[in-house]
Amino acid sequence: MKINHYLIGFAISSLFRRDAKSFFIIFIFTSLIFLLSSILFISNSIKEELFITLDSLPQITVQKLQAGRHANIEISRVDKLLKLNGVQSAIPRVWGYYYFENAGVNFSIVGIDSFDKQYKKNFEELVENIDFDELEKNDSMIVGEGVKEILSQNYYKDFFNFVKADGELKKIKISSVFKSSTVLESNDIILMPKNLVLDIFGMSKLKVTDIVLEVANPQEIPTISQKIKNLFPDTRVITNSDLRVSYQNIFDYKSGMFLALFVVSAFTFFMIIYDKASGLSSEEKREIGVLKALGWKIDDIIKIKFYEAFIVSFISFLLGIIVALFFVYILQAPLLRDIFMGYSRLKPAFELPFILDLQTIFLLFFLTIPIYIAAIIIPSWRVAIMNADEVMR
Amino acid sequence: MIECKNITKIFNQNRHNEQIALKNINLKIKKNELTVLRGASGSGKSTLLSLIAALSRPTKGEIIVDGKRVSKMLENSTAMFRRENIGFIFQKYNLISTLNSYENIILPTIPSNPNEKELTRHVDTLLEMFSITNKKESLVKNLSGGEQQRVAIARSLINNPKIIIADEPTANLDKKLSLEFIKTMQKLKQQNRTIIIATHDPLFFNLNFCDNIIEMKDGHI
Amino acid sequence: MFLTPEIIAIYTLNIIFLFFSIFAFIISINIVMHWNVNRTDERQYGLEKKSILVATIIKFIFILKLPLFIFFVFTANKISGVITGAMCAAGVVNSISFGLWLFVFKILNLFIFGFWIALHNMDTKDEQLSLTKLKFSIFIVAFMLLVIEIIYEISFFSSLNIDKIVSCCGTLFSVASSSSFSFIFNIPSSIAIGFFYLIFSLLVVFSFLKNEPLFLVINIIFFITALISLILFFGTYIYELPTHHCPYCFLQQEYYYVGYLLYITLFIGTFSGISGSILSMLNRKNRKDFYKKSLLFNSIYVAIVTAYPIVYYIKNGVWL
Repeated sequence: MKINHYLIGFAISSLFRRDAKSFFIIFIFTSLIFLLSSILFISNSIKEELFITLDSLPQITVQKLQAGRHANIEISRVDKLLKLNGVQSAIPRVWGYYYFENAGVNFSIVGIDSFDKQYKKNFEELVENIDFDELEKNDSMIVGEGVKEILSQNYYKDFFNFVKADGELKKIKISSVFKSSTVLESNDIILMPKNLVLDIFGMSKLKVTDIVLEVANPQEIPTISQKIKNLFPDTRVITNSDLRVSYQNIFDYKSGMFLALFVVSAFTFFMIIYDKASGLSSEEKREIGVLKALGWKIDDIIKIKFYEAFIVSFISFLLGIIVALFFVYILQAPLLRDIFMGYSRLKPAFELPFILDLQTIFLLFFLTIPIYIAAIIIPSWRVAIMNADEVMR
Repeated sequence: MIECKNITKIFNQNRHNEQIALKNINLKIKKNELTVLRGASGSGKSTLLSLIAALSRPTKGEIIVDGKRVSKMLENSTAMFRRENIGFIFQKYNLISTLNSYENIILPTIPSNPNEKELTRHVDTLLEMFSITNKKESLVKNLSGGEQQRVAIARSLINNPKIIIADEPTANLDKKLSLEFIKTMQKLKQQNRTIIIATHDPLFFNLNFCDNIIEMKDGHI
Repeated sequence: MFLTPEIIAIYTLNIIFLFFSIFAFIISINIVMHWNVNRTDERQYGLEKKSILVATIIKFIFILKLPLFIFFVFTANKISGVITGAMCAAGVVNSISFGLWLFVFKILNLFIFGFWIALHNMDTKDEQLSLTKLKFSIFIVAFMLLVIEIIYEISFFSSLNIDKIVSCCGTLFSVASSSSFSFIFNIPSSIAIGFFYLIFSLLVVFSFLKNEPLFLVINIIFFITALISLILFFGTYIYELPTHHCPYCFLQQEYYYVGYLLYITLFIGTFSGISGSILSMLNRKNRKDFYKKSLLFNSIYVAIVTAYPIVYYIKNGVWL
């Protein structure tokens, strides 16, 4: 089959001849596609950023449950866990959240024991460069960039008064600020020697928050986590892949919910399209009558209408995606990213990594262009079967 | 060539605004004849033309054009029939005013996906024949009435039809241009085409190359 | 139940397809019952106009179904990351008992809709539209198949369960499996390959004999043997692993998406053979170029699959 470029040319020219109408539709459709693609781009990027973070998370985390809630776990269990076959290392962690009321934000406080192996690479570097025993003696800490900023805004330039569990104040000096590759995970972090953390949170020296394990062969993770469950029935075992799946679900669910709303608003748009395509000016009616009198078949008229719809929707598709790429990756999606990032006011200070895969483009295509074209099928047919003899009257 | 047998056409049949446009028309037009349909407006001339061109179907009777029963053709075939056999010149030219002359002239050929070279050559000959070569790229709405008329004639000839149908072709032209139109029709007749002109312009009633004059009144011949 | 954007897209399009095809179905019944070219009343003319609407709808659905099929595999591949145990689309599809049937219906419907359009194009060239009744009777059947496919697809996605551990393709397509595919593995691969090349040579011979019924049958058999030999034998050379038989994994990037090329050439080759033969049997005047087209694409398919084991042998000096 040869492509009839005259027919396509005619379709293009008839779009131009009705420029006001065409531009109106392109404008609205572009906005709609822009909104949809922005949301998908943002959710893809955040997912990617989270997955990078997840990869640096421990393969297995063991938590103790008491009365169905997370409780501190005995440090003595570390040795028992190490004895399990396949476990390469078991590291006790001391960490928690500290709510800073003046600014209304949560800090993540992480305790560092320089004798233990660190469970994150960037922490390890820190331990090499900084003497945590020295920090313990001086009651000092290392803070993330976001924390530093919040503290200075509240006039804590070089120290901070923590309110301990028993209500007393504990003054800790700020020794330095630390930076990290993934901002998402480090922005709100405070690092300090383990004993200081135990003191601030009022925890027993024999207990830690949780224990993280490293496993030699990732394939064995399910088996090992099953063994831990048998060994300590009061624990909850979280694996890296559990987290990945639940994050993926949360994001698919969030964008799914958004999409459901989007479908409703898009439906309104397609009703407008249906209406616009059905209502013809007398000039357009006369034109179609003339074409039919000149020997155009019903099929030919429908083809013209299809080409018009495809051109309009494809232009809007490209425009919408380009504008969305600009909005999300260059402007960093102001306003919209809050939909996905509502949890902590410190968290949002990160760059959205650039992700553009074929599948998302495919998805955007299927959610927009076919629906637009579906909306014009019946109106174009109605137009095309109009009686042509009126041009003779 | 064209034969109408007992044609009746009723608009809005069985409704309160029923209107009988044609009553029992019998008509024969031979090949290469020029026929003038004469009558006041509303006498049924246009309706008859649209029936011959298979733009609509008669309520009763049948029409045979070039051996084909056009009154019983399926919609799909009527379009092909018009494309291959009929050239139209409408009363108000019915050009698409926002396209240029060239684009208007090629309209009937578009669906059959013509060969570009042949088409351009054909259009150029027509433009030259009607001396509008310099108006090829001009939008139709910027042309004078006479030029629009010539574009319309060129368009009716682009598919090289056997039959030319013209409906009140000179209604919007002055006498000089009307005479020019008549000359063109004479030329077309010399090219072995069958021509039907519906008009009430007296200029057409005394043509020496006219074969039939059919007088119409209230749907009768 | 899942609610990913991909699944919402598939649902939305399915609802649109359903809406339009029900519309087309009702018109088709009308046409089959009342079509009569010799009548000149308004009803007959109205039916002709409506038949154009139905044809437009069917073309719309078919044109979308082609890329949607690829998109479906894409989506299944993506979901395989969430479902424990699944490595590719195969695991996802087979985590549901009727997953395989969904696939069968998808392919069958592509063939039927494609054939319908070919038939329609031939019919519109005929002034009397003499195939119209046949055309719309076929659509009534195609409509039912489409509805079954859509019901399967909707219940497929809604019954996907992320908590269930599924088998990956490695176990599904293996000798020891008890899945719906396993019967294939009772066939010795040497016989399957011999049969595959035998059928292909018959296909070449028949394309020169230009006998439509033979060509039709041989294309159907070729399609089936091609798939079986691909799973049994050729697939293992694409993966260079004697135990990996999965017909989905080579749709992934690691294998340069070669699966799409294979399936598309096989589809075009057998489709043009099957539909061309049927159309020619219906109408003697139909153009005979489908023999060439079918032979060309089927040969490309055979050339690609043959190249894999040969290249492997040249590189390694042994067979798998």
